[in-house]
Amino acid sequence: MIYLDNGATSFPKPPGVSEAVARALANPASPGRSGHKPALEASRIVFRARKKLAGILGKADPERMVFTPNITWALNAAIKGIPLEKGAEVISTALEHNSTARPLRELEKAGAIVWKKIHPRENGLIEAADLLPLLSPRTKLLVLNHASNVTGALTPVEKMRRLCPDVPLILDAAQTAGAYPLEDFARHADVVCLTGHKGLLGPTGTGGLWIRPGVDVRPLAVGGSGSNSESLEHPDFLPDALEAGTLNTHGLAGLAAALDYLEERGIENIRRHELDLAGVLLGEAEGISGLRILGPSGNLENRVATVSVTLEGYSSSDLSSALESGYGIMTRAGLHCAPLAHEASGTFPGGATRFSFGPFNTPEDALAAAAALRELSGKRRAV
Amino acid sequence: MERGPNPEDGRGRGELVLVFSTNTRILLAEELLDSLDLPFVLIPVPKEVNPNCGLAMSLQEEDAELVMPVLEKADLRPKDVYRRRGGAFTVQPPEGGF
Repeated sequence: MIYLDNGATSFPKPPGVSEAVARALANPASPGRSGHKPALEASRIVFRARKKLAGILGKADPERMVFTPNITWALNAAIKGIPLEKGAEVISTALEHNSTARPLRELEKAGAIVWKKIHPRENGLIEAADLLPLLSPRTKLLVLNHASNVTGALTPVEKMRRLCPDVPLILDAAQTAGAYPLEDFARHADVVCLTGHKGLLGPTGTGGLWIRPGVDVRPLAVGGSGSNSESLEHPDFLPDALEAGTLNTHGLAGLAAALDYLEERGIENIRRHELDLAGVLLGEAEGISGLRILGPSGNLENRVATVSVTLEGYSSSDLSSALESGYGIMTRAGLHCAPLAHEASGTFPGGATRFSFGPFNTPEDALAAAAALRELSGKRRAV
Repeated sequence: MERGPNPEDGRGRGELVLVFSTNTRILLAEELLDSLDLPFVLIPVPKEVNPNCGLAMSLQEEDAELVMPVLEKADLRPKDVYRRRGGAFTVQPPEGGF
């Protein structure tokens, strides 16, 4: 099997992750809820993951690193939790995943916000200057994906931040965390939303958000926290304020082990490795008849290692099936939970077939993908 | 370095119980004090002083002069400090006095 669906979830996980999950599952206690030794050990597992994740973001304060079940929850928590006056204008890119688009649409539909979108240029890239005409005194929030999960295009977050330094910025780092040095972009955001199971190489069911000091995020859910138990009011201090309910201790144990691996291998090394593989596929795919590559071409520095394509004569699902059945290559077909990005790319509603590389892929994997596309293109012409 | 709770040492000096606002803060404090080989032990929060479900830190009073400034400097001041003598807990003053 050649696994090229790391944009959905990374596979395989690094050595040590499944062992850490199994060890934590064998420890039967709940973190932060009791004072006995197994509970203390569970608390230490969560603490270690929290400290490591904040550390990898370049942040020294683990209390501001909140865990959530996934990044969808983290984005909902941030988008719905930052207090906005009625009619506030919120700006996102037109390449957002539904994890951002749906909460924004819900607020828009309720008349709570006005939602504006920055469209990519012809080359598939978002230009920071295109933010300018959308800004107004009523702009109260910016929500940006750091990289598109469809085209791989990087958003120029730093430049956009400079254009509106006082507008709170929520960054969706689903496709970049672990695949791009995190400190570089975390410093531009007020809230950084993360998932643990993609580039961070941990188990599913882990995610979180880091919140800059001074930024107020109200809780989506309240309940058990193990703190302020005498009160019917949920605690207002982080991380407890946004962590109602028992955490995924064994998942976080696996995430901490995955972060150990990332530290050891180096995120910049992983970025280079994955981009090299994307470069091999993009180079080899050039000239394949009927093949269209979505998003930016040329400069690899504008993208992450996610390459979506369409091939004339194949629907996105037929192409994905042919890649699996004929070549053992796993890809993802369809809209990738990002209809806006496909509309912007001209591939709505049929979608595209996505190849997404991970740290364990090899140049041979990329060459095999290109060879398969070439052969399938030839078969199409023969029909 | 762990030294068990010592409700009273016979010289009129007893145990201090430190309650932190969050579980994360007490574990930050644990990591810091461990790295400096300072004596303390984590205990279930005594229900006489706090209804929460988590942990508290127990120090022998004689060690407080070493431990408290370290916590202060790291911005890890406990939320509440109690002196335990026998079964009785008394709140300690917020500033110094240990």
